[in-house]
Amino acid sequence: MKLVDHLVYRLLGMMLPVIGVWSVACFLMQIYEIYDGIDEGLINLKQEFIRQANTEPGFVNDMEKHNPLNIIVKKADYDSVKHLEERAYTGMVYFATEEEEEEVRLLETAFRCDLNGQYYTLKIFTSNVESNDLIKNILYSLIAFYFVLALTLIFTGKKVIRRATRPFFHLLEKLEHFNLDEAGMIDFPKTQVKEFNALNNSVKKLLENNIRIYNEQKRFIENAAHELQTPLAIVIGKLELLINRQDIQPEPLKEISSALNILGKMKRLNSSLLLLSKIKNKQFPKSRQLDLSDIFMQVFDDYRELTEHRRLKLDVYRQGNPVCSMNPDLALIMVSNLVKNAISHNIPEGTIRARFSTDTIVIANDGNHHVQGDDIFERYQTRSDQSQTLGLGLSIVKSITDLYGMEISYKYDRQHIITIHFPDNRRKTG
Amino acid sequence: MKILVVEDEYEMLKSIEASLLSEKYLVETATDYSSGIEKALVYEYDCILLDISLPGGSGLRILDEMKKNGITANVIIISAKNSIDDKVSGLELGADDYLTKPFHMAELHARIKAVLRRKQFDGKDVLALGNVLLNHTRRQVSVDGRPLEMTRKEFDILVFFAANINRLITREALAENVWGDHIDNADNFDFIYAQIKNIRKKMKDGNADIRLKSVYGVGYKLIIDS
Repeated sequence: MKLVDHLVYRLLGMMLPVIGVWSVACFLMQIYEIYDGIDEGLINLKQEFIRQANTEPGFVNDMEKHNPLNIIVKKADYDSVKHLEERAYTGMVYFATEEEEEEVRLLETAFRCDLNGQYYTLKIFTSNVESNDLIKNILYSLIAFYFVLALTLIFTGKKVIRRATRPFFHLLEKLEHFNLDEAGMIDFPKTQVKEFNALNNSVKKLLENNIRIYNEQKRFIENAAHELQTPLAIVIGKLELLINRQDIQPEPLKEISSALNILGKMKRLNSSLLLLSKIKNKQFPKSRQLDLSDIFMQVFDDYRELTEHRRLKLDVYRQGNPVCSMNPDLALIMVSNLVKNAISHNIPEGTIRARFSTDTIVIANDGNHHVQGDDIFERYQTRSDQSQTLGLGLSIVKSITDLYGMEISYKYDRQHIITIHFPDNRRKTG
Repeated sequence: MKILVVEDEYEMLKSIEASLLSEKYLVETATDYSSGIEKALVYEYDCILLDISLPGGSGLRILDEMKKNGITANVIIISAKNSIDDKVSGLELGADDYLTKPFHMAELHARIKAVLRRKQFDGKDVLALGNVLLNHTRRQVSVDGRPLEMTRKEFDILVFFAANINRLITREALAENVWGDHIDNADNFDFIYAQIKNIRKKMKDGNADIRLKSVYGVGYKLIIDS
């Protein structure tokens, strides 16, 4: 659920019952006022009636005899009326013209005529129809008013909340697209709201810290690898001078040679790390349109002697030309790492299969070992049968595919299959 | 042959100097930008080994100055920065080769020899090792005038050995020369071994004066029998 909707519904959940209760109260008050007005009129009429009854002899008798339309007066004895309280109520009266009972407002009371000392009960009533219409109208307009108010609340509430939370959503959108690798600080919109400013400032501080730490780490790895190059070069140079001395004995020679071997590993590890951080730092900017299948064939040809030596077969199937815009050096590094991987982890007399289409390259090689999932693209994934392999080759491939937004996946189906897919290819090549 | 080494790391400089001296080159050294540019502009060298990051200025500026002053020496850039930009601008400024530290001394010798060869023979790029002739331009080998069939890699390996006569070349340096920097597979060593075996057989069958001697399983040495 969206925040705006959530807030509006919460607000409505609070407001609508309150407004509802208020409307009902208002309605009841209106009804009370209306009846109160009618009753007031009836009471006035009653007082006028009693005044006339007390001053004009025969008035009550006339009234009792003629029985005017809205007054019913009857003789009563004291005992039946001594507990009667004056009351106004809504009741039914039969109207002959309508041939049915109609609702009326009644005032029921009793009085003693001063002229003859006789007690009477008196019912005065008035038609209720107009007031009922009025009440109906009030009710309908209240209900309409209620719904209009609710709708207005929803729309204006959404609008107001949306406008008020704009800095928040702006920040959210920026954060969604934030990438540490790109290292650019996001711009924060100016806002009058104290809390949004505080949020922006906290996020800014957090990001700045992260960017700083990330860059420091990146620089550290880069510098460490870079600073190691010269000492490594010196040590290797000195040991190579040593093994070329005329007076060197076989034993020290072997020892030094194995030290050189280790140093060689270190050197390659180091330069792979340097390459990785350079790819991550986007230090290969210049791109052009390249056909990866051409590069593959060229790289494969460079390793021809090695594949012939291991008696590997190559099986190429070209459905289309995988052309994409890449830095030529990176394309070469990517493809040659894939080829080297397919050669190194093959079995003797195995097969390397390459499939090319306009947006996908698939390179598969025979091999016995099933490697779990996409782990093979992680750094330092080594296989037990390949103690010499440092396992950085495929993570270099992965970082290159990441750089160009390509998808890389691995699966094992009797052979190791690596698939690289570049979805935006068709758009670029038309 | 006179070689100038411009390198600020003293121990590195010493190693390179010692290795070059063993090959009977005349070696001069410079350890910073100002002494480097002074020597490069004043004296003539057959080859200059130039580090890029130097105290006082960039090695690329030395190259630039040399170019402006019309000095055409063979320059090999040796840099710890395996930067493609540096490589490109170095080669654009007239450097002949680019070698990334750390490198094998054997590789350095091979690069220097290649650079010197290109300058000296001007097309007739032939090297004699006893009765064996290596024609670099045509990539052909002959023994006593009889041509020998060699594969691409066999020829490359032989050239590498020819640049390092009597020097012990480790299998690792050899593998790196043949496959470049990033191959690190044990299988390459038996590939190398197979190549060496083939070269040996061809040399023996052709009665060549050279042989590739195994040194305690560490590596090989090219020896010319006289």
